[in-house]
Amino acid sequence: MAEEKKYTTVSIPKPLYDKIKARIEGTGFTSVSDYVTYVLREVLASLEEEEKEEVFTEEEEEKVKERLRALGYLD
Amino acid sequence: MEFERKVREGMAETKKVFVIGLDSAPPELLFNRFIEDMPNVKKLLEKSVHGPMQTGIPAITIPMWMVMVTGKTPGELGLYGFRHRTGYSYTDYWIAHSKKLKEPTVWDYLGERGKESIIVGVPPTYPPKPIRGHLVSCFITPDASVDYTYPRELKGEIERLVGEYIFDVPFRREAKDEVKEGIWEMTEKRFEVIRYLLQEKEWDYFHFVEIGLDRLHHAFWRYFDENHHLYPGKGNKYENVIPDYYRLLDREIGKTLELIDLDETAVFIVSDHGIKAMHGNFAVNQWLAEEGLLKVRNPEVLHDGKVKRFESLDVDWKETTAWGWGGYYSRVFLNVLGREKEGKVPLSKFDKVRDEVAEQIKAIRGPNGEKWDTKVFYPEDIYPVAKASKPDIMVYFDNLNWRAAGTVGHPSNYLPENDTGPDDANHSEFGVFSMYLPGFDESKATQLTIYDFAPTILRLFGIEEPLKGMHGRSIL
Repeated sequence: MAEEKKYTTVSIPKPLYDKIKARIEGTGFTSVSDYVTYVLREVLASLEEEEKEEVFTEEEEEKVKERLRALGYLD
Repeated sequence: MEFERKVREGMAETKKVFVIGLDSAPPELLFNRFIEDMPNVKKLLEKSVHGPMQTGIPAITIPMWMVMVTGKTPGELGLYGFRHRTGYSYTDYWIAHSKKLKEPTVWDYLGERGKESIIVGVPPTYPPKPIRGHLVSCFITPDASVDYTYPRELKGEIERLVGEYIFDVPFRREAKDEVKEGIWEMTEKRFEVIRYLLQEKEWDYFHFVEIGLDRLHHAFWRYFDENHHLYPGKGNKYENVIPDYYRLLDREIGKTLELIDLDETAVFIVSDHGIKAMHGNFAVNQWLAEEGLLKVRNPEVLHDGKVKRFESLDVDWKETTAWGWGGYYSRVFLNVLGREKEGKVPLSKFDKVRDEVAEQIKAIRGPNGEKWDTKVFYPEDIYPVAKASKPDIMVYFDNLNWRAAGTVGHPSNYLPENDTGPDDANHSEFGVFSMYLPGFDESKATQLTIYDFAPTILRLFGIEEPLKGMHGRSIL
């Protein structure tokens, strides 16, 4: 069985690539890919953190929204 | 000099602090018009430093109570109202709740120093986060079936005491008698809980917020304010509802103060903002569409008399520059290329386009061509930082004399009545502040901002400035 491929390619705009390349010069990041991977992990982690903060069930959220609407805070 | 001595002595004698939070209490009514109907409050004010307290922007319950107890701006809290966009979604939003709040509150500071707090109804405190002391959550709570206290067991005690606890009373209904009864019942239950807690639990700091006053103002303002454009005339059925509620508050506050030792307890009365008559609603998205800033594929529905939410509109996003949210104030968003999914405004032109839209908004006139005093704010300009989901433009139509309606389908952009049920009042810039310290025996005028509250309270507990990142300063 072939070894599972560990990396894949994504495309980013060339100007962004150049910008990142310039930014990581002289830093510990050895490639644009390293840097992009690092940044994306950070972003995802913070999004996941944010999602963990979901405190209302769907039904509760509807209830609260309906009430806030009736109170004039929404719409 | 004499007064300064009293302040020093009062501070030295203060062992506990009791804070009465009255959502939307305006100085005009509490300190003047109704003062003779409120003997208990009057007695307290006669030996308190009191005056108007300037609120922040936006003058809304959430975030202002949290601004008050953290000393931080809405931008630093990342809370600009009750709802916030999920990412840069056009339609999805999340509702503010306690876990979004990362900045320490007064009771967090006190807890670190071993002081016990009791917190009741300060928004947003749902879901209840652990504190040193006891907490009953606020009107963001879905209903009384969920866990709404810290510690959890406290909920059982509350139920044994008052049955089903009431968090809020939606007021935008025609059934005014029911609204009135609901507000009365809610407030009576809350004060019963407050009195129970202050007798049964240990506390150094007690802070509660009664939301009933705000609901009352919104629901019944037209019946008591003879200058309101919908005032039904003298002798109308509900003209005494507002004064009666102030009397109810006074009785409840009086019964509560009897349980407090004024020789060792400082007592504050505060509100998050004031209140004034609302002239009507301005349909912000209809206006944006007329100006060509918002492109709708089916413009015939904009004025067809069938009121609909913005989400139900077929928006041509690629051609849209801006859209708005309704509420007591309006939030306007630009549709930015690379930020929104189908953005239009290039980032390089963001500042210019925003200034242009803001100028257009400021130039809006009233229904009879009269000049409006519309105020626009950019979050990055008015806060040191603007975290989380900030609006691009914050708008006070005619300085909050008009509310914003985000809905469409109204024949005119000027709605004399509210778009989602009757509502007569909007918020105003000055709330109330009153401070009694042990030993005070005369009143004195003061004025301050909502940012001064937290440093003042902490000072009373010996916690000195400078306090990390707080903007106000102790008045003591």
